[in-house]
Amino acid sequence: MKKIEVFKQGIFEELPLQLGVFPFGIIYGIMAIESGLTPMQAFLMSSIIFGGASQVAFVQLISSNTPFGVIVTTVGAINSRHFLYSISMMEYLKSLSLKWRIVLAYLLTDEAYAISIRKFINEPNISFLHFHLLGTGMTLFLSWQTSTLMGVFLGGDLPQFLDLQFIIPLTFIAIIVPMIKSVSTFLVVIASAFSGLILKSLDINFWIIISGIIGVVIGLASSRLDK
Amino acid sequence: MIWSGIIICGVITFLIRFIPMSGIISKELSPSAKNSFKYIPLAVLTPIIINDLSIFENNTLFLFKNYKIYAGLISIIVAFITNNILATISIGMASYIFMSNFINI
Repeated sequence: MKKIEVFKQGIFEELPLQLGVFPFGIIYGIMAIESGLTPMQAFLMSSIIFGGASQVAFVQLISSNTPFGVIVTTVGAINSRHFLYSISMMEYLKSLSLKWRIVLAYLLTDEAYAISIRKFINEPNISFLHFHLLGTGMTLFLSWQTSTLMGVFLGGDLPQFLDLQFIIPLTFIAIIVPMIKSVSTFLVVIASAFSGLILKSLDINFWIIISGIIGVVIGLASSRLDK
Repeated sequence: MIWSGIIICGVITFLIRFIPMSGIISKELSPSAKNSFKYIPLAVLTPIIINDLSIFENNTLFLFKNYKIYAGLISIIVAFITNNILATISIGMASYIFMSNFINI
């Protein structure tokens, strides 16, 4: 296969996922402006961080005057799963130049990984595999930037009764529910939900981080129940 | 403040994605480290969802006169059954709009 064919395959396989990504980007753009960010900040955050759920969490926490350290830690925690994606990609990309690995690491998001890793596992011997990840990653990048821009500039014109901000928790629900596949993951959700509610009602600053830590500890402690 | 937050978060996010690919660290992680990575998104996103669905007034939680909780529960059921992002969002959103405009609780 030629480079351009592998690249195009990445683009075409990534396109259907944009049905979910595009509205999410618009919502992020709207929320960012409503949270007090300038259009430039809202737009450039999508290129600088380039991580949907973490960007939404960032603007939500900014709007509720959350301490800076909590925001940074939350963004890092939400994106920490990309560390595992990168480990599993390393096997296929280790022979590439540093320049390539920098570009592909930047483009390594949930949706690009989900499509490209399938290709990498199923057809590990085809040439120019990295062009597939370039195709999926660039498709997602362009879609995310365009939808952010639409949210930033069109947001104010959307009807109020829609209360589009509610799409954010719904999107997070759609992301995490399929992850609940075992007793331990179920207990993580229950523990972090209840500790979040209690800590929030006690007005504790680092409630997201503390309840997240409680959830992970409960998960690790109960992981034996999965076997 | 906001700019520095964006840049620091951008650098952290990039490093999370780049460090394993850079070959700096050993490929093999301990099983407990791998397990904790599996739990982190659930443990961090769940409290954010709970916060978005809850209504707090003076640190008191209002559970019952809150359409978001009911719509959230409906979307959880839809997500379990369909495993589909679009269906979860659209049915959750439709039920929230319907309840908040046509039902008085």
